Amino acid sequence: MPKAKISPVTGRYVTIEVDGDEYKVFYLENGTGQPIVCQHTAGCHNHQWRGLLEDEELTQNYRIIAYDLPRHGKSDPPLNREWWKEEYKLTADFYTKFIVTLCDALELERPIFMGSSFGGNVALQLALRYPDRFEAVIPVEAADYSPGFYLDWWHHPHANAAQVCASGVWDLMAPQSPDKDRWATWFYYSQGSEAFKGDLYFYSVDHDLRGKLDQIQGDKVKVVMLTGDYDYLTTPEDGRRTASQIKNAEFVEMVGIGHFPMSENHEVFRKYLKQALDMIRTAKA
Amino acid sequence: MTIAADQWSTHFKETNDTNEELNAHGKFFTCSYLLDMETKKFLIQTHAGKIEKITIDPDPLDHYQFAIRASADTWRKFSQPTPPPMYHGIWAASFKRDMKLEGDLLVLMQNLRCITTQLELLRVVGVPV
Repeated sequence: MPKAKISPVTGRYVTIEVDGDEYKVFYLENGTGQPIVCQHTAGCHNHQWRGLLEDEELTQNYRIIAYDLPRHGKSDPPLNREWWKEEYKLTADFYTKFIVTLCDALELERPIFMGSSFGGNVALQLALRYPDRFEAVIPVEAADYSPGFYLDWWHHPHANAAQVCASGVWDLMAPQSPDKDRWATWFYYSQGSEAFKGDLYFYSVDHDLRGKLDQIQGDKVKVVMLTGDYDYLTTPEDGRRTASQIKNAEFVEMVGIGHFPMSENHEVFRKYLKQALDMIRTAKA
Repeated sequence: MTIAADQWSTHFKETNDTNEELNAHGKFFTCSYLLDMETKKFLIQTHAGKIEKITIDPDPLDHYQFAIRASADTWRKFSQPTPPPMYHGIWAASFKRDMKLEGDLLVLMQNLRCITTQLELLRVVGVPV
């Protein structure tokens, strides 16, 4: 009998409390060393990080932790509240508090935080609000402000929300990314349509760091921004402009990739991620 | 070299009607829309995933449900096998370039997956402008 291929990635639940609400949070992890905490994109889940979680080189030196935000993937909405009686709108206050509480629960000391899209925007918020809590942040496809995507189309009852959400973000990916990975990303998006719009309340409305970027203590928390050249929502120009206003921040334009680099083309993304991690290591030294 | 409009129409229809993805998912893909390429316009009528009819430069009162309009230059870039950034989709080109989505956009959204696939066939057949 051939030996089964069993992944080294493990999945666990941890229960945490944020603002009096109880959340049972699902996370995947693999590797040893400095923790890198990974946030998926809006309306998605942690499987977007599947390439990084199984990256044999990077997991030798880093403990990769990818969680599902509540209401996404295997993390339910709050356990002890009638959440269905209010419209879901993700805010920067809750989002940042949730991430820090999760890192505390997992007893992570000065982790690196990395997220893409609304996860990239919250990385900037974390750098501003919790400079002592993180070694560095890697905002991927992020900007100080990213309006224009809090759209009613995501919930229109006369359209197939799963298809609109998944196909609406299709051309956020680069056409040269492998078909199988673009379609996997599409598939993830077809699963998360109910949370998508509420997530985008944070992405396009509540998140606004214009005029505040100079308050980020870039000497305490290193900021390395990565943006793909096929991202029409947060373009390389947006990333470059944002990084230029943060002390000690770096910006890297990723060529031939879009808004979901980790899931649409891990092989291309990992080259840029290694570059970002080198920058963080050098800054630490 | 620009392909003639009538040749293009034939090629586009054949490519669409034999596309495996549209054959698998296009059962309810029935709508009519205008592709406005600045110097040429095409009214595409699709039924159950197949192209029923393409009208070249339709008359002013010919009916369609929505229109996708852009300059000839944008469509030429959109239809390259690997289009440059911001010309790689109707959302990207609408957000960042001169593409316009007009008319009954609900019909567009109801058929978004298949429309996206159908327009990406332009990267196989090219555009006649």
